[in-house]
Amino acid sequence: MTPERVLFAFVIVLALTLNVGFTVGDISNPEQHNRYELFGAIVVSLVATVMKFGDRSPLGSTMLATSLVADLQLIAAAACWGLYAGFGNTLSGGQMATVVSLAIGALVANVISVVLLVIEVANLRR
Amino acid sequence: MNRASHGSFILLRRLRMPLVVLIGVYAASVLGFTLVPGTTPDGAPWRMSFLHAFYFVSFLGTTIGLGEIPYPFSDAQRLWATASIYATVVAWLYSIGALFGVLQDPLFRRISHETGVARKVRGLREPFYLLCGYDDTGYRVARELTEDGTRVVVLDIDPARVDGADVDDHVVHVPGLVGDASDPTALTIAGLTHPQCAAVIALTGSDTINTKVALTARLLNRDLPVICVARDHVWHPRLAAAGADHIINPFDTFAERVAIAIRTPSLHVIYEALTTQAGTAAAAATQVPRGRWVLCGWGPFARSLRRQLLALQIEVLVVGLDLDDSCDTKDCLRGDPTDSAVLRRADVEHADAVIAGTSVDIDNLAIVLAARKLNKRLFIIARQTKRRNAAVFRAAPADLVMQSSYVVAAEVLRDLRAPLLSAFLRRARDEDEAWAAALLQRLRDSVGSDVLESWSVSIDPVSMPAAHEALVAGESVALGRLLTRVDGSLRALRAVPLMLLRGREHVAVPALDHLIESGDKLLFCGRALARTRMRGMALSRSLAPQAAVSAAATGPLPAEG
Repeated sequence: MTPERVLFAFVIVLALTLNVGFTVGDISNPEQHNRYELFGAIVVSLVATVMKFGDRSPLGSTMLATSLVADLQLIAAAACWGLYAGFGNTLSGGQMATVVSLAIGALVANVISVVLLVIEVANLRR
Repeated sequence: MNRASHGSFILLRRLRMPLVVLIGVYAASVLGFTLVPGTTPDGAPWRMSFLHAFYFVSFLGTTIGLGEIPYPFSDAQRLWATASIYATVVAWLYSIGALFGVLQDPLFRRISHETGVARKVRGLREPFYLLCGYDDTGYRVARELTEDGTRVVVLDIDPARVDGADVDDHVVHVPGLVGDASDPTALTIAGLTHPQCAAVIALTGSDTINTKVALTARLLNRDLPVICVARDHVWHPRLAAAGADHIINPFDTFAERVAIAIRTPSLHVIYEALTTQAGTAAAAATQVPRGRWVLCGWGPFARSLRRQLLALQIEVLVVGLDLDDSCDTKDCLRGDPTDSAVLRRADVEHADAVIAGTSVDIDNLAIVLAARKLNKRLFIIARQTKRRNAAVFRAAPADLVMQSSYVVAAEVLRDLRAPLLSAFLRRARDEDEAWAAALLQRLRDSVGSDVLESWSVSIDPVSMPAAHEALVAGESVALGRLLTRVDGSLRALRAVPLMLLRGREHVAVPALDHLIESGDKLLFCGRALARTRMRGMALSRSLAPQAAVSAAATGPLPAEG
């Protein structure tokens, strides 16, 4: 166990948990989705991407790819939110659904990341 | 993992921390702006949206300007903005510093240098020569080859010399790799296993490394011709075992030339005319005396010369400080040859020739000057080791200057450009003076004082289509028909056939009525115009008729052609 590996796993799992926390709830109800949680999810996801830079493990390149997908989806969700709310408006149900569905896409990518992490750890055990 | 992805791996891994710091500082600043309370101009409480906060922090960190938007800030917001300015500027400085740090890193630079050269070498689509070692010899070889339009790749361990390959402005770009020629990886990056690699030439200053290059080339690329320099005879068997196609020993080559000049002066003239640029057959023979020789300095160079001279039954006295057991006392004198007292003891006043053959240029110049002072009639040979001393040696009163790098470069170039010429010269060494004098006279008659060129022709459908067709049709073709003009005058070309190669059989100076066969390789020498005319005959697919040859061959020398 090295501090580096702990931090690595921590960041990847945190990216997943924040993402889940944001998406849980009624997909079209703005009341049930916290913007700070989305912001946190984006920041942690970016950090997770950077942590995977130059990872030498065989799964490293796949993990970097899934992480980049998550970044892309989350940033798209945040950009949509920013544009819809641009004039001080509250979001309509359909607009909120767009934002959350983009975040759900990112969630899938984050789940794959965590699965890959578990596979890698399981391989190390052997 | 290959070395290229290794380079980007290092870059990304070293930039991990700076990027995390940058993301963290930005995230904290943006978050802070969305939380810190402010007021609109109307006095209503207001908090920045994420979009505005990200926009503000973005220009804050990079330019610090544009003012407070969309509304003037509250004191709390200004406090946070001040903290953010310092944090983001420091984070940027740190990140950019780290980026430059990685780019300057010796390991990263070496890997990116190797990647760049590997890409250039992979991109070569024409045959190229791989040159290991880029000192004086390598420079000469590279310059001559690039002047022919041939591609060359240079491998040398000294970065300064590889940079020299860029600075020396060759006609075509010469990719240079800094690397150890005895390292197979470096050789592979430089193109050893590239399908277009035409030959590997090992010219490094160390015989050990040259042998390693030959071995590596033999094992990694079986059919690749290898040309190798070895100064010490110890390495010759090992190089032969490694399968080096040509082993060049500059000392043996030079010693042989001296021996040829003594034994067969006419052959020496032919040799010089054929091997030096702008050489002519009309040059007078160098008069190298037999008599008694004094050989100053001891080493592989002196050993080669002594062996050649003794074979000609010439009396040789070796003068040197570091004599070994192979010198017996009666023809050796222990002493510093740069000292005129020692030279006087060697009886230089009554010697016929002196060789200044130590491995130090200054010593050799001192010997030349001291010996010339003692005896005005001496024939003096000086050995020059560094190219940059050329001017001094030209000014020194020596009759012949031996420069190792020049000798090696000439041998390498001849092996590459005219392999038949090397075979001819090897063959001619065994002939006597009468044979050489007759050939020289023939060259003088037919080429005169024009610059002597040599070229090879093979009897195949590409380079000699007309002759090849005639042979395929069952006609017998005499050699003279290739040397007869086809413009109606039927005069002979001013060229002399030097050698005919059929399979493994060599015929030196074949007669004009010698019948050629398909697949023969021929070596001609003559004036440049004759070469052009012969090429014209090949292009126009024409051949002189059989009847014309006997008249042209036996008739008087034509005025031109």
